[in-house]
Amino acid sequence: MNSTQQLLTHSLDANEQTLRDYFTKTPDLVYCHLLIGEPKKRALLVYLNTLVDKNSINNNIIDPLLFETKQIHTIADIQLPIGSKSYTTKWEHVIQHLFQGETALLLDGDNHVLLLDTQGWPQRAIAEPQIESSLKGSHQGFIETCEKNIALIRRYLPHQQLKIEETTVGRRGHTPVTLLYLEDVAHPEVLQELRDRIEQVDVDTIVNTGELMQHIEDNPFSPFPQFLLTERPDAAVSNLLQGRIVIVVDRSPSVMIGPMTFITFFQTVDDYSTRWMIASFLRLLRLLAFFMAIFLPSAYIAALSFHYEIIPLNLLLTIGESRERVPLPPLLEAILMELAIEMLREAGLRLPAPIGQTVGIVGGVVIGQAAVEAGIVSNIMVVIVSLTAIASFIIPNPDMSESIRLLRFPMMIAASLFGLVGMVIGFMLIIGHLISLESLGTPEGSPFAPARLRDWKDTILRFPLWMMRTRPLSARPTQLTRQKKFRK
Amino acid sequence: MKRYEFNEVTTMQYIFLISGTQIGIGILSLPAQLADIANTDGWIAILIGWIISITASTIIIKTMEKHPQDTVFDLSHRYFGRIFGTLIHLAFVAYALLASITVVFTAIHITQVWILPNTPNYLIMILFMLPGFLITRNGVRVLGRYAEAVFYLTIWMPILIAIPLQKGTILYMLPILKEGWTPIFQAVKTTILSFLGFELTFVFYPFLKEKKHAIKAMVIANSISAFTFLLITVTCFIFFSPDETPSLIWPTLSLLKTIEFSFIERFEVIFLSFYLFVMSTTGIPYIFTTVFGMSQLIGKKDHTIVLLIAVCIFILTSFLYNPSFSHIQTMGSWWERYGLWGAYIFPVILFIYVSVAQWFRGGKKK
Repeated sequence: MNSTQQLLTHSLDANEQTLRDYFTKTPDLVYCHLLIGEPKKRALLVYLNTLVDKNSINNNIIDPLLFETKQIHTIADIQLPIGSKSYTTKWEHVIQHLFQGETALLLDGDNHVLLLDTQGWPQRAIAEPQIESSLKGSHQGFIETCEKNIALIRRYLPHQQLKIEETTVGRRGHTPVTLLYLEDVAHPEVLQELRDRIEQVDVDTIVNTGELMQHIEDNPFSPFPQFLLTERPDAAVSNLLQGRIVIVVDRSPSVMIGPMTFITFFQTVDDYSTRWMIASFLRLLRLLAFFMAIFLPSAYIAALSFHYEIIPLNLLLTIGESRERVPLPPLLEAILMELAIEMLREAGLRLPAPIGQTVGIVGGVVIGQAAVEAGIVSNIMVVIVSLTAIASFIIPNPDMSESIRLLRFPMMIAASLFGLVGMVIGFMLIIGHLISLESLGTPEGSPFAPARLRDWKDTILRFPLWMMRTRPLSARPTQLTRQKKFRK
Repeated sequence: MKRYEFNEVTTMQYIFLISGTQIGIGILSLPAQLADIANTDGWIAILIGWIISITASTIIIKTMEKHPQDTVFDLSHRYFGRIFGTLIHLAFVAYALLASITVVFTAIHITQVWILPNTPNYLIMILFMLPGFLITRNGVRVLGRYAEAVFYLTIWMPILIAIPLQKGTILYMLPILKEGWTPIFQAVKTTILSFLGFELTFVFYPFLKEKKHAIKAMVIANSISAFTFLLITVTCFIFFSPDETPSLIWPTLSLLKTIEFSFIERFEVIFLSFYLFVMSTTGIPYIFTTVFGMSQLIGKKDHTIVLLIAVCIFILTSFLYNPSFSHIQTMGSWWERYGLWGAYIFPVILFIYVSVAQWFRGGKKK
């Protein structure tokens, strides 16, 4: 459209015609003609009534304008009780701001437009985070509006070093994407890398943060997440303080954080608000859960199909007894049950809550006693599948939990083909992959390989807070002191 | 000018890379060989071998220091001209190839004997080549990280092996020096060969980030290996007695048979499966050296294609040829003979040659 490149004219009618030509089939665009000032002068108020706060327009714009008694020469004479306003003469800006829910005020005989911030679209109230609940952390979660989300973060860090950079992604959607970082902590190279990658994204729009994550991640062929998606402001802030960069995508309730390391997906905010012994125990539990979720079914398959000699005799007899009536080989038995539980999970997730409970009851029967009594699977298998499922739900990060659940299947096949050797090779592949994986150019295997012993304080165990005086090095912070030594 | 800047390894990774290469295949049969040659005094030979290997590593570092950005391949072209340089280059590649073949086939053989007796060897080869390819492809940096990760993952293994010590008879270690020094010196030849692996410094040195710690790193790496060798040999001697040890093919693995838990039997199966990690840190650096040297020879910067071809050849070979135990032993003895030249004699010659050549060139300039 050529007219958008052009400037406004001094004639109000011509300007209105340009707008009407541009916005065809746009019933929600309101043209409100007014006569303002003494003597009366024609003015035009334009806004998209689906994106504005009507109260604000009525009370703060129309009301004062109608009762204006001053003489209005130019648009700059108009005084309105709205803080955020700007002037422009370019159609391009007018249209862009109209789409953002602002109101344009045109005056006859003036080629300037007054743009007033009257944004107000349907939005959710700030609520408790749904996916990542926590015991002691804050109960505010991110919502779909970028400004609110930044406000939630700013409340934790009222500091001038918290820098905010805005950019837009998407040709049609113009999704506002905001980077937040601590300028004296975040590494400039990492930041530049992130900026470059976001700049390169050329898509229609970003509907959800997860899409942007996939567009900019280092290795799209990896099963593991390379960015953290969170809906918790406190988690975002704690990562900001470690020198990471927070990416807030408008219209999406999850916030992306990078660069991440593997172990950070096993940390929660609660870890830091609980006492260190309990927090360490929970960390160990999660690590154990990680191994169980990947290896438990495959260990069962390996032991039964290749190495029954490693099972002590008593246990072997019990297993044999319970498998007596089962016609399926261990691999099929395991895959059947694992698939059943995955389906249950997915069904429970997609169904509305009242029906979701039914799934739980039906599922409990399917993978429970009935299946055993029918002779399809063995008791031991049910125990193993349930344990594996619980273990995979312990992983605090949903993305990591999903990758782990996916890895279980190739591992089961490897175990059924090569027994323990297959499992060890699978483990080797996971390790080999993890250590070569990078997140924004920083190694994901850190602090284990490459080793940074100082960072081990906050990995497998969570050391007492007073010992964690420096920021972890994995995000390459440029300023290390986190706290002074104030305890004796 | 730094040619390998994006591929640097830290001092710690370097230590684990070298000691990981040293500990692997040799350790499984070392106690038997030592007991065979030197009986109760075999462990002294490890200490002597340790000193010799440190000396040899220091000589290699001293040579490499003169051109800190060069691998042995660059060095050979720089000093020996086109034809001789290429020959030495090829010889080193051939050496690494022999070593990798030996390691891979031994690993397969052990796996077949102890864990998977019914699985055909080419399937195991394909399985082993998967992580081999994945890790080798990413270059020295990932190799270093892998060695580091494996070190932490396997640190419990020597401790576990030492458990039978408490059931042993310490008197088996006596008498010391019962037949004088002659058998000990004979055994030294065996021990210095189990230290093979440090010669890969020739390739990895340019990738080391802090070169001033190089000698220290070599000493630590050799000491870690020496300590492990000593621990296992002494455990074997004390537990089995030096007279019985030679009758076992893999005394180290037999030690594991004695470990029992109430909840798990045949623990050695699990241990040996995990031992694949240890063997992988021996095999992968050699495979990398082979592939890296080969791709430098044909002038390719990226070694992925050569690696892919090498992996295919490995798998194809295993499809056609399944070496028996005696063949593997022959391979091992070739490697050792070659290794004596490659890791001990060649560095000394190279050091002298490079020093003399530099002295000459320096003299000419003045």
